[in-house]
Amino acid sequence: MKNRLVSLLIPFFLFHSATSFAQKQKITVAVAANMQYAFKELRNEFEKKYHIQVDVVIGASGNLTRQIMQGAPFDVFISADTKYPENIYQEGFSAEKPKVYARGALVLWTIKPGLQLQKDLHFLLSGNIKSIAIANPKIAPYGSAAVAFLKKMGMYDKLKNKLVYGESISQTSQFIATGNADVGFTAKAVVLSDQMKNKGRWIELNSDEYPPILQAAVLLKYGVENHSSAAREFYEFLFSENAKDIYKKYGYIN
Amino acid sequence: MTHFSLQKKLHSAEGPLSLDVNCDIEDGAFISLYGPSGAGKTSLLRMLAGLMPPDSGMIKVKDEIWFDSEKKINIIPQQRLTGFVFQDYALFPNMNVEQNILYALGKNDSKKIIDELLDVTGLGGLRDKRIQMLSGGQQQRVALARAVARKPKLLLLDEPLSAIDNEMRANLQQTLLSIHAQYNVTAIIVSHDINEIVKLTSKTIHLQNGVVRQYQPPTEIFLNQFDEPGSMKGVFLSAEKAANEYEALILTGEQVIKISCSENDAKDLQKGDEIVLSFKGATAFLRKL
Amino acid sequence: MIETAPIFLTLELASLTTVILFFLAIPLARWISHKKNIFKTIAEVIVSLPLVLPPTVIGFYLLLAFSPSNSFGKFLDHYFDIRLAFSFGGLLIGSVIYSLPFMVHPVLSGLTSLPASLEDASYSLGKTKTQTLFKVLLPNIKPSLLTGIVLTFAHTIGEFGVVLMIGGNIPGRTNVASIAVYDEVEALNYHNANVYAAVLVGISVTILFLLYLSNRKLQEVKIL
Repeated sequence: MKNRLVSLLIPFFLFHSATSFAQKQKITVAVAANMQYAFKELRNEFEKKYHIQVDVVIGASGNLTRQIMQGAPFDVFISADTKYPENIYQEGFSAEKPKVYARGALVLWTIKPGLQLQKDLHFLLSGNIKSIAIANPKIAPYGSAAVAFLKKMGMYDKLKNKLVYGESISQTSQFIATGNADVGFTAKAVVLSDQMKNKGRWIELNSDEYPPILQAAVLLKYGVENHSSAAREFYEFLFSENAKDIYKKYGYIN
Repeated sequence: MTHFSLQKKLHSAEGPLSLDVNCDIEDGAFISLYGPSGAGKTSLLRMLAGLMPPDSGMIKVKDEIWFDSEKKINIIPQQRLTGFVFQDYALFPNMNVEQNILYALGKNDSKKIIDELLDVTGLGGLRDKRIQMLSGGQQQRVALARAVARKPKLLLLDEPLSAIDNEMRANLQQTLLSIHAQYNVTAIIVSHDINEIVKLTSKTIHLQNGVVRQYQPPTEIFLNQFDEPGSMKGVFLSAEKAANEYEALILTGEQVIKISCSENDAKDLQKGDEIVLSFKGATAFLRKL
Repeated sequence: MIETAPIFLTLELASLTTVILFFLAIPLARWISHKKNIFKTIAEVIVSLPLVLPPTVIGFYLLLAFSPSNSFGKFLDHYFDIRLAFSFGGLLIGSVIYSLPFMVHPVLSGLTSLPASLEDASYSLGKTKTQTLFKVLLPNIKPSLLTGIVLTFAHTIGEFGVVLMIGGNIPGRTNVASIAVYDEVEALNYHNANVYAAVLVGISVTILFLLYLSNRKLQEVKIL
């Protein structure tokens, strides 16, 4: 009788301790859509090292910002620009100022067969090029960088009428990838991603010719208040050498 | 002469019904179509109008072949010169009385007939009225005028008076007769009202289970077959003793009459029993039907 | 400050879509309302699809269809030099598809509620199907027609998902008011967003109000 009881209890204890072992810490990170490719590897590296579970919420920076300001339970926000993290800081939803973790790289991309991409961009003036996709400069830093680039090259006024605007880098890439835009300006991270890497041709543009596309991350108040140590560990990790290697791999520059 | 011979498989509430009808109608005749509900009467009218395709058969109206399944002729309803009075009148709500009748006429037709029709149907003062403002009887007359406006080769009336009250009905029956006389149209009326059938029509198609049982003048079809001469059907209501005889109340048609009869006749009868009432001289005899 | 171009563009898109759908939906609804067979049921399902599909899905498939890399887009580009993506014409096509059920359903509903004998009466009086449609059927379903117009117009004013996918947000051509509001919100210019929204709501309410008022007048005449 006693043996029976013990043999019932042992699995119970084992199970209990196993689950409490599995109850490692968990944090939630909000990630801007175009960082999602790099983020996957970042997260794997981090989870390997730190035994902290990282849940991710992917969305447009604007949407995520709004959600954060409505009290969404996110610990860290990785944005694709600096405006939204700044805004979050100004509105008091983070305790510290946001920090730049990487710079975006602008590329020119096309899937049109036979279209030669030249760095001097004169080919864009040809009648064959009917639409050039860029991200909306009002709301996306890649877009305003592209506009600045065109202006620097003295081509903006001549090409203005051919521009079509994507609401985000994802949408801009969609226009290019479906062939609706003959060519377009997008993020290097997009053309290096698994889904897009064998589609069409791209050239990287000289980063001196456009203002830096700074991407910042911010440690949120919610994170500090609820998962202080785990959140901070992850936040610091974003600026580590390990992370920097990953950014480079995915097409960001430092 | 209008001749038709039509076959069609219909689906009625009681199950499938094979309609097989054969008929010749003299030009200008006013005949009736009589039979239980679901016997195929409305379907027959619709086939004649071209609104329903028969499975097989032929329709010939005054030397015009409207339908011939063997020769693959099927004239569309627009090209058959028919007038159709529907059970729900089918007047156009967006038009007034005059416009409804005008609708029937083509661009080249004279408008004079409208005045004529309004006169015959007694609708003269109502020509500007929207049809929603008319009574049932008035609407029926508009429907009739509209159907006849083109002087059709065949006038088809589908229980036109079934929704009309008794008083108005007699009135409208008169209107029907006047129209028929004035324009001499060949007309077929579907009716359950034996009164109407006998008053208006010269021959009756008695349709039952999809076939023509009889095609005779109504005076023959509805002649009662009782042995007693001059007898009629009635419903026994009550009987009371009064002096040496019994006074009975009988319902005949739409009238209640009081007669004297023998105790023998009255004693086994109960209220509601159908009886045969006959007279010999001044004496009344009752027997249970 | 806000620009006026998006407002005018939206009104233009909504009006043109409504007019096109009015002339498209009537014959379609008429055809469906006649005796039923399998094709008509399929048509009804297809007409109702835009109700069920998310607008972004409709927009996405239009984007693919319009692309010069795919057969339809290639055909248009090659033979007509037409590119539908990023054009007002493309938006018009998208809107017509997106708002199709909003015009067809009320008209269809109106037609099927009419007694069948009205049509039969008209045919028996020698009138063709077309004459019957214009002189008998349509005049007697005026409230349904108005409902279709109102719903289509209002629905197109609010169209966002489809335009987002295929518009390209080009000033003066495809940057409709709904996208403009979205952009202002994304840019954190909430004041501008509110102004756009207020103007849109104001115009829509006025138009709808006028249309419903005239519908009341129609109803009064019809039934007594």
